[in-house]
Amino acid sequence: MFSSEVIQMLVKGIGETLYMTLASTLFGYLFGLPMGILLTISDREGIRPNAVLYKILDVIANIVRSVPFLILLIVLIPFTRFIVGKSYGSTATIVPLVVAAVPYIARMVESSLREVDAGVIEAARSMGASTFTIVTKVLLVEARTSLIVGVTITLGTILGYSAMAGTVGGGGLGDIAIRYGYYRYEAGIMAVTVILLILLVQIFQTVGMKLSVHLDKRK
Amino acid sequence: MAQIEVRHLSKTFTSKDVKVNALKDISLEIEQGDIYGIIGMSGAGKSTLVRCLNYLEKPTVGDVFVDGRELGGMTEKELLKQRKDIAMIFQHFNLLMQKNVVDNVSFPLLIQGVRKKEARKRAKELLGIVGLEEKELAYPAQLSGGQKQRVAIARALASDPRILLCDEATSALDPQTTASILDLLKDINKRFGITIVIITHQMSVIRKICSHVAIMSLGEIKEHGLVDEIFSHPKTKEARELILKDVDGGETGNLAKPQDRLMEAKKIRIVFSENSSFEPVIANMVLKTGRPVNILKADTKNVGGIAKGEMILGLPDDQKLQKEIEEYIRERGLEVEEVTGDV
Repeated sequence: MFSSEVIQMLVKGIGETLYMTLASTLFGYLFGLPMGILLTISDREGIRPNAVLYKILDVIANIVRSVPFLILLIVLIPFTRFIVGKSYGSTATIVPLVVAAVPYIARMVESSLREVDAGVIEAARSMGASTFTIVTKVLLVEARTSLIVGVTITLGTILGYSAMAGTVGGGGLGDIAIRYGYYRYEAGIMAVTVILLILLVQIFQTVGMKLSVHLDKRK
Repeated sequence: MAQIEVRHLSKTFTSKDVKVNALKDISLEIEQGDIYGIIGMSGAGKSTLVRCLNYLEKPTVGDVFVDGRELGGMTEKELLKQRKDIAMIFQHFNLLMQKNVVDNVSFPLLIQGVRKKEARKRAKELLGIVGLEEKELAYPAQLSGGQKQRVAIARALASDPRILLCDEATSALDPQTTASILDLLKDINKRFGITIVIITHQMSVIRKICSHVAIMSLGEIKEHGLVDEIFSHPKTKEARELILKDVDGGETGNLAKPQDRLMEAKKIRIVFSENSSFEPVIANMVLKTGRPVNILKADTKNVGGIAKGEMILGLPDDQKLQKEIEEYIRERGLEVEEVTGDV
């Protein structure tokens, strides 16, 4: 069952899964982090309350997050084709993954930044810190540990989504599990891919937690 | 013109349908170099008032002048710059928990665009002033409350402020640490001539370091003036209550029970000032009149470095004798006033 071709295929699968997960998370944070920051500061209790901006971001985040990922994947096919040039393969899958990840990440960031002690923010304001300084030097620094935990959780979630994308030709371990395990009844290969997915999540989780604990100076 | 001048300031918080008048028509003048105490129970509006002095809270009505410049008329940018002159320390210290001590103290300098190397150098000097040089690489979580407040004071001094606002800065500290922090504040006031505004609910804080005091209750200033004056002659109920609650100052000998006090025909309150504590006035008086008086309450407090004594006497029923006693005390240069009801 595990011929060299199968092993090669699994290795390639791992590579694709890692590629999709990491690239999507990276691009996801590129948009999700600013969105999360804007949500936090434009909130009624934030440092720059702006009801209109908050409502708009809030609604966008809720809408995207309530569409099931599989539907999102299909609805976005024309958009994906426009950006990447084709609608299948690992690179194409990154587009819907990012779209799904951004509001999720924004919410994660928002909840991390909310944990920052209001007193510290007030102290920074009393020193004449601008909004930009408060965000970069106070909020992001003080919430660092929690933000890293957020990244860890996001990686796990995106990894799961990427496996789902396998059903529509996204590539990666999910794709292998569906094609061999489901369509060809090769339970052995399916089991191995699932185990590999579990291992990847474990590694992300362990590294992330270790890093966040290491960087936490509150103890 | 006073360094800080507050004119007819009111602040109303509106949330949903509820309106809260946190401050009602406050006017106040604080001179350069003063240590000005603002005291009141929680909810009196003192924290809101102090935040109006650096415009962390914008007043609903009224003006705040700092060094003759009205804060309300400033642009956002000017206001951020102005805050460099008005530092603030807090009850819960509000340090950056993820930064070490020296980075915390450098923080306001970095905000002003000072180079990191220079900021650290200045931060180390400041840590010397507050007596924490050896803790520069520690993180706030590794420090005691008193040490954290010292770091916060060093941080506040970093931008060379002219005014230091203290919001319940000693309320989270034990009495001993409180005393050492107050000494430090007094020292800073003397050395650098920084005007200090202290918000507190503890009369002992006012008594130990303040030159002036304003007594707040329910968003209003009930009474204000020199600490010395207010301790000797509290005019309002609020002031008297706060002075009575000030228990940690000196030995409080409350000898009589309330029901005993009611039986006295007349009660007088005597205030001893600087040198009168040396003469045994009461003993001499008793010897002279040949009639005993009842000491209902006696208390000595250290007010701004001067020993202040206060005594409440229950006098005998004889009106002629009462007059005689009062005159005798007045002749000795002591202040006498009649007190009624429950002191």
